[in-house]
Amino acid sequence: METKTYAKDCSLILIKQGAEARVFESTFVGRKSIVKERFSKKYRHPTLDSKLTLKRLNAEARCMTKARRLGVLTPVLYAVNPVLHTLTFEFINGPSVKDIFLEYGENGVSKEQLDDIASQIGDAIGKLHDGGLIHGDLTTSNMLLNNSTNQLVLIDFGLSFTSTLPEDKAVDLYVLERALLSMHSSCGNVMDRILAAYRKSSKQWSSTLNKLAQVRQRGRKRTMVG
Amino acid sequence: MKVFDVNGTTISFTLYIDVTNSRELLEAMQSGTLEPEVAFLNASLIPDIFPVLAAAHKTLVSKSRDSLTTRTLHSELVYNYSGSKHITESLKRCGISDSTTYILAARFDATPDEMNSVNELINGKEIDLEELEGRANKAQIQKHYKISALELGISTLADAITCRIAARDAL
Repeated sequence: METKTYAKDCSLILIKQGAEARVFESTFVGRKSIVKERFSKKYRHPTLDSKLTLKRLNAEARCMTKARRLGVLTPVLYAVNPVLHTLTFEFINGPSVKDIFLEYGENGVSKEQLDDIASQIGDAIGKLHDGGLIHGDLTTSNMLLNNSTNQLVLIDFGLSFTSTLPEDKAVDLYVLERALLSMHSSCGNVMDRILAAYRKSSKQWSSTLNKLAQVRQRGRKRTMVG
Repeated sequence: MKVFDVNGTTISFTLYIDVTNSRELLEAMQSGTLEPEVAFLNASLIPDIFPVLAAAHKTLVSKSRDSLTTRTLHSELVYNYSGSKHITESLKRCGISDSTTYILAARFDATPDEMNSVNELINGKEIDLEELEGRANKAQIQKHYKISALELGISTLADAITCRIAARDAL
């Protein structure tokens, strides 16, 4: 059934399979592209499932393009297909920040490069947050470094939403902090460098960082007593 | 003339400057007597052919589902290129008007004969598609698609337009 619909869509090569979506490599009118397909969850009620899938698909398309409007690099969106639940976007040629950080200290990744990436991360998040956009899943595997330009590209806006609350922004940063701590403790304190760049880029840094201090004490989830 | 393949359907483009009979073209198109049926786009809003191909892709997908928003396949292309949901406004801005002199003509699955008749319809000088970038009206594009200087810092005009075309129905 699925292969039939894809037959005319050139070749699709599966790159990754996650819990919410499958990611394929393909071509879109002559350009190399990525196709992200949100599949249906058989354990959910069909009506609820299609509503949720469609809502998230559209939200992701909206947030990706909104990020670009705020001056943050994300892949160019090529097409949204609400029937097949797919997004088609630009293929970014380059390693993930996760791979670069993991190689730090082993071969060829310098301290300067690390600093540059950290400041690009802080700057990008600052711009997103000032524009009221929360990424929702800031991890180093959701950041790519374009090979040809050395510019940071944010991907996977599947959990993104709009909010201007310092709470949401702080949790966004906290998620990144935890991810860095568990994956990249060998890189030294990258988070400090990211936050320094964030402070420069975001006008509302002070309320966010105050909140971040609170979030650190209690964790990502708010205590819901009573 | 240049031909592109979009998911197995071809689309042929010809770019014209100094067109003198846009009024006639517009009238023929609006009365539905244009033969063969063809899409006329206001080329000053097109900095690159890629966003037009993205719009063509979108058009063909809706066609295959019988869910065209406008009356014909070719008006759908103009509507889709506009990145807006307002049909009349889209056709006015991205289509041609009485005074348009710079036109991109497009036709799906065109035979060489059909493209020749398109060529005869239009009184103008054919130029290469490569000239799109240099001739585009940047200020008008930025205004129509609401592209800020902030976005242009990280994106080309063509990419910004492509995003708007793709994301329109998600908004």
